[in-house]
Amino acid sequence: MPMRAAGDLARAWGVGRLLVARAVESLTVVVALASLVFVALRWLPGDPARLVLGDEASAADLARVRSILHLDEPLWAQYARFLRGLATLDLGDSYRRPGTLAMARVLGALVPTAELAMVAVGLGAVCGIAAAIAASGPWLGPRARSSIENVLVGMAAAPLLAFAPVATWALAVRARVVPLPGDPDAGATGLLFAASLLAIPLAAHVGRIARVALADVAKQSFLTVAVAKGARPIRVWCVHALPTVAGPIATVVAAQLGALLGGAVVLERLFERWGLGMLIIEAYSTRDLPVLEGAVVASGLLFVAAQALGTAVHLAVDPRARADR
Amino acid sequence: MKRRSVATLVPLAAILAASSMGAWLVREPLGRLDPTRAWSPPSWTRPFGCGEAGIDLTSVVLSAERRAIALAVAVALSGLLIGTPLGAAAAFARGRFERLVARACDLVQAFPTFILALAVLSAVPHPSRLHIGIVFALTAWVPFARLALAQTRVLREASFVHAAVALGCGRTALLVRHVVPNLLSIASVQLGSSGAAVVVSEAALAFVGFGPRDGVSLGGVLDQGVASMIRAPHVLAVGAFGVFATSAAMLVAGKWFEGTR
Repeated sequence: MPMRAAGDLARAWGVGRLLVARAVESLTVVVALASLVFVALRWLPGDPARLVLGDEASAADLARVRSILHLDEPLWAQYARFLRGLATLDLGDSYRRPGTLAMARVLGALVPTAELAMVAVGLGAVCGIAAAIAASGPWLGPRARSSIENVLVGMAAAPLLAFAPVATWALAVRARVVPLPGDPDAGATGLLFAASLLAIPLAAHVGRIARVALADVAKQSFLTVAVAKGARPIRVWCVHALPTVAGPIATVVAAQLGALLGGAVVLERLFERWGLGMLIIEAYSTRDLPVLEGAVVASGLLFVAAQALGTAVHLAVDPRARADR
Repeated sequence: MKRRSVATLVPLAAILAASSMGAWLVREPLGRLDPTRAWSPPSWTRPFGCGEAGIDLTSVVLSAERRAIALAVAVALSGLLIGTPLGAAAAFARGRFERLVARACDLVQAFPTFILALAVLSAVPHPSRLHIGIVFALTAWVPFARLALAQTRVLREASFVHAAVALGCGRTALLVRHVVPNLLSIASVQLGSSGAAVVVSEAALAFVGFGPRDGVSLGGVLDQGVASMIRAPHVLAVGAFGVFATSAAMLVAGKWFEGTR
């Protein structure tokens, strides 16, 4: 039908425009962050050339290294070079390890951090949603439901920094069920343990928001219709009710991402896992500017990509979100 | 109207009192090293035990708590003072400025502020508490602005606002004298959770090695505790308890403002 086709086209156009607007916004955020990092690092006291060569270096050697590192150029020229480097994903060699591209080191560290964050988001979302459905559906009594809600509130308020090391001590040192921090052979168990610690606050936030959103949906007639048609409770809640609350869940996951990346740095430090946070700390202490800039921008990109993914999941799951645009 | 309950201030007051008492009881300079008592467990004379190189954890933790609370209060108040007028002004201006502030709130709130803090602090050779406070204040205004924005959208249609406009009240005077005072009670409820977040973030920065120069931080104690997890678990327990108790005390103290609504 032509009317319907026109409607679909307008909707697709709306979704496309939204995605383009989001992409432009995200790029602005990344460029703003990169510029901030650039300016902040140029204030850094301590001459990188001297740090590379050591205190005994002669003035001629220092000047030579400065020109190799482009530190003798005016600030605007360095900034233009930096932006060009970002656009072409080539920030030059690492100061600390000449011959290794800064971006290669950043990409090497990005993978474990992204892995940790992804597993944590997956675990947190699944556990939070499961708790919310358990607290909304007909399976539990009122006391069990309110205790689930109380546990979620407590978990959301507990600081990860305080309970992660204590949980590690209890499970790794006392019970010996998970690998110790710094164990190079930790592998998948180590990743899973670190991610599940990181997932706890996320699960609590997702659970609370999903619980409130599901309580609103519970009163609506389409669920009564589904029950009347003979759907089992698990189907009513997971297939009929859950997609309608995908919006709030995607929003809360996106809002928690910043905290999640910060938490990832803390957990990397706790478990001595290699990742972006450790790379930032190492590059800071050795004044390795290209690596430091690249690592901060990469964590910004990781964040932007995850936000875009959240929007896409919401659009895919909830037809109302597509229709509204 | 709920009554203010003084009981909500008890945990914070207890920490501050213990902190001043502890400084008086320990009677030795903060951070004195004595390798003979390194990693010694808690005892009657040293209730929190000793850490690396024999540093007395009781005095370190109590001072760190006091400094963390001072930082948290300063940052949360700066957030209140910047965010509330900004959100109110944005909601009154409507249009583009309102959308801009709302979008900025979304972005900053979801942004990896911890990474931003790492990036900004890496520009300082030895970060002090002032630097850390400034970095946190960069983002602390957001929840206050968001609350003020939402509440002013309601208030701007209120009859007392229309009355003030009809009496010839200018826009600035309207904001400063009529709207912002009405927002303070709602915005101040956020003070507790903002303060608790600052306590945890400051400890987290110190934990990853970006702590204040004097080294007196709960994160520093946690860092020692993780390194000595097998040999001296009490250090870890003391550090974790310090972070938990201080942030929880801030959260609970924030409830005091709920009584004013």
